Amino acid sequence: MNIFLHELKAYRKSTIIWSISLVLIIALFMSLYSSIAKDAEGFLKILENYPAAIRNAIGFIQGNFFTILGFYSFPLSFITLCAGIQAMNLGTSIVSKEVREKTADFLLTKPVTRSQILTAKLMGAFVSLVITNIIYFAAASFLAFQVKTDDFSMKIFFLLSLTVFFIQLIFLALGIIISVIVPKIKSVLTVSLSTVFAFYFLGIFSDTTGEEVKRYISPFKYFDTAYIIKHAGYEASFLLAGAVIIFLAIMASFVVYSKKDIHAV
Amino acid sequence: MNVIEINNLTKTYGKARGITNISFNVEEGEIFGFIGPNGAGKSTTIRTLLSLIYPTSGSASIFGKDCIQFAPEIKREIGYLPSEVFYYDNMKVKDLLKYSASFYKKDCSKRIKELAEIMDLDLNKKIDDLSLGNKKKVGIVQGLLHEPKLIILDEPTSGLDPLMQQKFFELLEEENKKGATILFSSHILSEVQRLCNRVAIIKEGKIVTVEKISTLKENNYKKFKIETKSPLNQNYFQMSGVNNLAVDGSITSFLFRGDINAIMKKIADIEIANLWIEEPDLEEIFLHYYEKEA
Repeated sequence: MNIFLHELKAYRKSTIIWSISLVLIIALFMSLYSSIAKDAEGFLKILENYPAAIRNAIGFIQGNFFTILGFYSFPLSFITLCAGIQAMNLGTSIVSKEVREKTADFLLTKPVTRSQILTAKLMGAFVSLVITNIIYFAAASFLAFQVKTDDFSMKIFFLLSLTVFFIQLIFLALGIIISVIVPKIKSVLTVSLSTVFAFYFLGIFSDTTGEEVKRYISPFKYFDTAYIIKHAGYEASFLLAGAVIIFLAIMASFVVYSKKDIHAV
Repeated sequence: MNVIEINNLTKTYGKARGITNISFNVEEGEIFGFIGPNGAGKSTTIRTLLSLIYPTSGSASIFGKDCIQFAPEIKREIGYLPSEVFYYDNMKVKDLLKYSASFYKKDCSKRIKELAEIMDLDLNKKIDDLSLGNKKKVGIVQGLLHEPKLIILDEPTSGLDPLMQQKFFELLEEENKKGATILFSSHILSEVQRLCNRVAIIKEGKIVTVEKISTLKENNYKKFKIETKSPLNQNYFQMSGVNNLAVDGSITSFLFRGDINAIMKKIADIEIANLWIEEPDLEEIFLHYYEKEA
């Protein structure tokens, strides 16, 4: 419990900053909605001139774009990108910060098992993400109500927003496994930015070919907003894929971390 | 009873040297020195005891329990001070010590205050703002605040000024009197000589010898230097036990190991002007072990 609280405290600042950033991004986009909705015709024409790949990349879904839910899919892809970076940062720093700041000796000579340490740290990161998502969702739904022109399904809005959290969990798990395997990570940001962006662009790339299987490559493509809006639910196979990745990465992290030699600085 | 038992402990890092077949015991209530130059394997041994690293083969037990299997349980009674201390920079000393104490199921606040007072440590400063020596003090308080039964020190004096070193040693002796066993690793022999009852000498990953400090010195030679009124016969001191005999005018010097009476009688038979008999210090014994093996 003490490690958990310590971790949570350590993440306090970053949780606040990330929450505010996500809220600002969504606020910026939502503020555009009313003018876009008004000028729907003109926008449609412009967008139709764009190549399909770009339209897909920005989450443009024909016919849906000018409803609030359809429009929301558009900023959501940026939000998930940023949120992915936040989660990856957390995951990667969980173990590596102890190595980098050379505090591993302190923690690991205390009467706790390594599994207890990793569990507490994982919970700390998890709670930090939950808090971020609660703040984000509260702000996003408040804003949606402010700018809406028609009624919309709150359930679908929630399902769409929840994809942010799912993608974060996947990147959190990926971050952890990287941080226990790589002996020393000098800069968390370099690792997390490159990984998250790589997956983001892989996602865009896989989109252009339109093959279903390729969507498994990038977590960013696990949650198809058009599908969610249409069916008010997730695609089970991708949900499962995400869960499997998270489970395996975390299990592997526990095994690796428990057997790892902690070298002197 | 042995507090630490190390049996054929081996740790290899690929091709690099680790430790090979280390075996020694530390008895309850003793201050045990662990000496050797940098890179001899002292830290590797200690880190294995603390299950920070895992042995390639062999085993070690602390309080009669395997140090890997029962690591969390054992660590409740261990205080550890590394050679270089690093803590969460943005924490206050007070908060760090509280965090450290929160791992042990007892109230340590009184002991923290006592120790901070002895070591002259300001609890309200940020770790980040502390000098190396002051960080070390935090380490000392942190290692002792839960009144451990076994104190493991890995080259603990670096960064401490002589006055603080003195206080620190007194503190250790006090803990020892209260029943704590201490494993003291160092490459500074005078420290070990000052504190320890027994010592293990490690060289290139292997234990060279485990001895009582007093035996180490007893078994060793004494340095004789004799000034005589008239030059001596070159071969006067040529007897068993005498080594490195050198006669330089009226000064005769040699190393002697053996029955001290025999040599004293020999000296009594001649007219001397002055006499020096010196105990070799640990440094020389240490070098002796190292040269012998080389």
